[in-house]
Order: sequence, then C-alpha cells, then structure tokens
Amino acid sequence: MIHNIFISSKFLIERKRQTAVALLGVAIGVSAFIVMTSLMRGFQKYFIKQALNINGHINLKVEENNDELRIVKKAFNPEKYLFVVLGSKPKEKKYKISNYKQIIKMYSSNPEIIGISPHLLGTGMVVYGTKEKNASLIGIYPELENKTVSFKEYLKSGKLSQLEADKNNIIIGIKLADDLGIKEPGKKISIVSPSGNIYTLKVIDFLNTGITEIDKTRIYIHIKKLQTILEKPGQVNEIIFKIKHPEDAVSVAKQISLQTGYKAESWQEAFRNFLSLFRMQNYITYIIVFSILVVSAFGIFNIIMMTVLEKKKDIAILKAIGYSNIDIIFIFTMQGLIIGIIGGIIGNILGFYILEWLETVKIEVEGIIRVKGFILDRNILYHLFGFIFAFVFSLLAAFYPSYRASKLYPVDIFRTGG
Amino acid sequence: MKIILEAVNIKKKIKQELILKGINLKVYKGEFLSIIGASGSGKSTLLYILGLLDKPTGGNIILEGENIDFKNVKKLTVLRNKKFGFVFQFHYLIPEFTAVENVIIPMLKAKTNKKQALQRATNLLKQLGLTEKINKRPFELSGGEQQRVAIARALANKPSIILADEPTGNLDSKNTQNVMEILLNLNNKYKTTIIMVTHELELAKLTDRTIELVDGKITKEIINKPDKYTHVQN
Repeated sequence: MIHNIFISSKFLIERKRQTAVALLGVAIGVSAFIVMTSLMRGFQKYFIKQALNINGHINLKVEENNDELRIVKKAFNPEKYLFVVLGSKPKEKKYKISNYKQIIKMYSSNPEIIGISPHLLGTGMVVYGTKEKNASLIGIYPELENKTVSFKEYLKSGKLSQLEADKNNIIIGIKLADDLGIKEPGKKISIVSPSGNIYTLKVIDFLNTGITEIDKTRIYIHIKKLQTILEKPGQVNEIIFKIKHPEDAVSVAKQISLQTGYKAESWQEAFRNFLSLFRMQNYITYIIVFSILVVSAFGIFNIIMMTVLEKKKDIAILKAIGYSNIDIIFIFTMQGLIIGIIGGIIGNILGFYILEWLETVKIEVEGIIRVKGFILDRNILYHLFGFIFAFVFSLLAAFYPSYRASKLYPVDIFRTGG
Repeated sequence: MKIILEAVNIKKKIKQELILKGINLKVYKGEFLSIIGASGSGKSTLLYILGLLDKPTGGNIILEGENIDFKNVKKLTVLRNKKFGFVFQFHYLIPEFTAVENVIIPMLKAKTNKKQALQRATNLLKQLGLTEKINKRPFELSGGEQQRVAIARALANKPSIILADEPTGNLDSKNTQNVMEILLNLNNKYKTTIIMVTHELELAKLTDRTIELVDGKITKEIINKPDKYTHVQN
C-alpha cells in the first residue's frame, strides 16, 4: 500500500502542470457546488421561512363551488339527461366558515397545533392623496395572529397592539405604502369597499417581510373593522394554523379537512408553484455543477490515460519485478484519488472563502424577495458532499485507465523494446 | 550442483507460429548459463517463460522442485518479486525516480522497511561503483551507469536467479566489459544463478555453459567451464 502511494505521488509530482490543471478543475467544480448550493438553498429556505412566518402552516378555507348545474342537478337525474347551461353568470360568493368558533375551540386543545387565528379576507381600493392601489385586506385578531405567525417580527415599529386599541388603525405592507407615497406612520388613508363605501383609517405601522408579493399587496385591519367595511358582520372565511412540526403539514391538513369538512391547505400545497420552481432551480444548479465536475473528471481521465500510455515501459517493469495487477490499478487510481482529495480540499477552502466574501457584499436584491446582500445557507454538509463528489468522480475517472494499465502484458513491451 | 530451474518440453505459440518447439533445459544452482541464437530463434521468449513473465503454450516449469501453476497469477507475481531479478537490454528505469529509488521499488513490494531498503539500495549502488550517482535521475546517468542501476534493482531482493536479456546489447565495449565483470563477479562471489541471453559469442564464452537455440530448439550445448559441473546432481 505505502509503496504504491509512494509511486503514485512520484508520478503526479513529476507532472506538475497537468496535475495542477486537474486539481484546479476539481477545485472549481467543488467550490462551484458549495457556493451555488449555499446560494440556492439560502434563497429557498429564506423564502419558505418568511412565507411560513407570515402565512401559517395550514390554511382552512371554504372550497369554492363553481358547479353552475348544482340546482338543475338537484331537480333532475343527471344520468338520464345531458344538461348545458348557456350564459350562466358567476353568482355572488358568500363563502364563510360558519362554525369557526367551534373549530377554534376544537383545535385549541390539540397538542400538535400551537396557534390558530381566524381571518376575514377581502379586497378593496386604497386611496392616499391622488394615488390609488388595489389591496388585499386581511382582518385579524391581533393577539391570536401574533400567536400563530411571527407577525410582530416583521413590523417596523412593532405596534401590533394598537390594532386592538383603536380599530381604525391599520398595518400596511411597506411596498404598498411606498407605492402610495406613505413614508411614515400616522398618515390617514381611505379604503373603498366593494360596495362603494369609503372608510378613513390610520397607518400605524409597516409590514416588511422581504417577500415582495406580500409587502406590495397586504393591509392588516382588526377583523371587526373589516367585517364592517366588507359588510360581513361576524364572518370569517379563513383560519390559519401553526403546527408543532411544519413538515407534517400535509397529513395534519388532510386530517383537519376530514374533521371540519372545509378545505385545509398545507403550506406545501399553497406554495407548490414556488416549491416546484425551486426544484427546477435545484436541478439546473446541480446539472451545471455536475457538468463542471464531469469536465474535471474528464481532465483526470485524460491525465491518467496519457500517463498510462506514456508509462507502458514502467508498468511492464513494475509487473516484471513483482507488482500485481491490483498494485498497478492502485498506483494509477491513487493518482486520480490524490487529485480528487487535494482538489476537494482546495475546492472546500475556495468555496468557504467565496461564501465569506459573498456575506460581506451588500447589494440590493429585489425580485421575489427583497434583501440586502446574498442569503446564504452555510452548511457543513455542502462542503462534505462537495468533497465526496470530488472523491467519487475522481475514482470513477481514474479507474478505467488504471484497469487498462493493469491489463498490459509486460512481455509485449519487452519484445518491442517499449 | 542442484537443479534450480527446469524447463520440460516447453512450447510457445505466438500468433499461430510455434516459436519454441519443446525445450528441455535444466539450470543448475550457481551456474552462469548463456543462451545464444539468431534473431527470432526464441531465446528471449524462453527467458521470459523461465522468468515466469510469459505463459508457455505447453510444457512445465519447475522452480526449486515445484511445478509452476501459470494460472495462479498471484503466486507468479510473488515468485517474480522474490526469486528472480531481471536485467533487460534497455534499462527500464523509471524516469521520475532517482537511482536509489529505482532500486528500492522491488524491495518495497517485498514489504522491506523503507529505511532498510534505502540502506541496501545504497550499498548495492556503491558496490557497483555508483556512489556519486545515488540521487541522480536516469537521464543524468550514462548508458553503462543506467544498466548498473538496473542490475542493482535486479539484485535488490537477493534473488535466486538473475535473468538477463541481452544486458549489454545497448552498450559500448567498455561498458559491456564492465557489466559482464559485474555479472561474473556476482556469479563467482555470491553464487547467484544467472541466465543470460546474448547474441555475442564472445560474451557467451565467458559463462559456465552455453546453449544455442535454432528455430525454437536447443541444437547445441557447450560447457565452457567443465570443472564447475563435476558434481552435477540430476
């Protein structure tokens, strides 16, 4: 073993330039994997964390029923007749969770559920001076909301309790406020309800989650006030749940759905578009990184193959003086592995310092999320995986030429004089 | 003299051509045997088979009384490492290694401690007049020096038999004489069995016994030093 490592390392050291190029290839591949994975996962984890913090893990809603034949079907046997309703118009939707108090009571004692908050959702037009914007109006019980989502965390001044103190107070998404031209709290805005009534409300705080879609559209109002604005007294059309183990949201949602008869949507279902987008992003990232690793593996393959071709005489003499086929495989595979291991270590160090540097870069990023600088998910596992990939790719790349080397028949070399 | 190596009816076919046509040869312990013959007579092929580097198409090789199983590759490898030392026409030194490193390679395979291996390699190189060249790479050595390093490598594991395939074929007359002196000295002083293939009759005459191969068959045997064979045991 030691003698084989001695020979391998000698062969490598003597081919400094080729070895350096191969090492660089592996190092770049590994560092690219670490950096890209940290960036990608950082962004994805941040998005999910922020979205979950503000939206809850499960949303209980009234399932919209768009079956326009419902009444006709009730009157006639649908198996006997073919119904076609022409020119049907969408009817006014009055979807509400009528027994929400019972539902809240039912799940309050469930140890798996750590927070429940009823909502009334609606839309309205917000007017500030000459500016008008459409907004999602969310009616909440501030105390219950704060127990269910990390609401306070995202408030600029943390004045959640003032929603309770004065029901004419509102909290507005910071981007929406920006769009309307509201720079500081205390400003009064008008909300025009769907029925045309105008209500004057006071902005007491700004919501800054970092998720553009939320910050650009949402207005939080006390539920009682929103019930008045939307003319839906005592109504609730959504309940959000915070559960102990967010990863179990799908099964818990299924259970809640069965028990209540309403549609319970887990966060995985709610964000399925984003999650599948993230999956696609991951695939693309891994394809790019694996391509880099494959190219560097070809570099190793090339070097070992060249070495084998150039070292036929040396292989022949090694075999003549008692080195077995396994020794020969070991000697040449070890060269690939040394490149993989050292390249993996360099790649890890390089990746580490690139991430360190990225953490200091404070550029404004605005897209699905708004952050200053890069969000990195720094995890020792990415470094470990990078190293393992380098090791495995090097091993695979070096094995075939090494195997070929072991199959050289020394007599053939001696007969021809090498 | 005891038989150390025996070829029994050795045949070798290469690409449908019968190169060796039933060779029977006894090699005695401590003898210096030379094999002569024209190009293509099969002398190198016979040497490779005797050195367990090549597999015969037919016949047996008996080494120190043991019939060699050519299917047992692992054992062949061990025997080559421990029992044989090879010297070829070309030195086949590994260019990346210094003289001393080239010599220790067979010893490391035989699991000799590296310190001891370096000590022995240094001594061997000194004995062969290469004291100043121990840490030189092959390209820094002359042809004769390269071949002497190759001889040192062949001697590294104290082999029972040295197989030399035209060891002077690539050397000038001075270096040829030098290499022959080393081989003769090894044989006389340390009783190392040597089998040398050569096409130079003058060199063959310096050995104890010469066999001539013609067209894959032994056609002649000349005892150059008859006094050495007075106690031959069959």
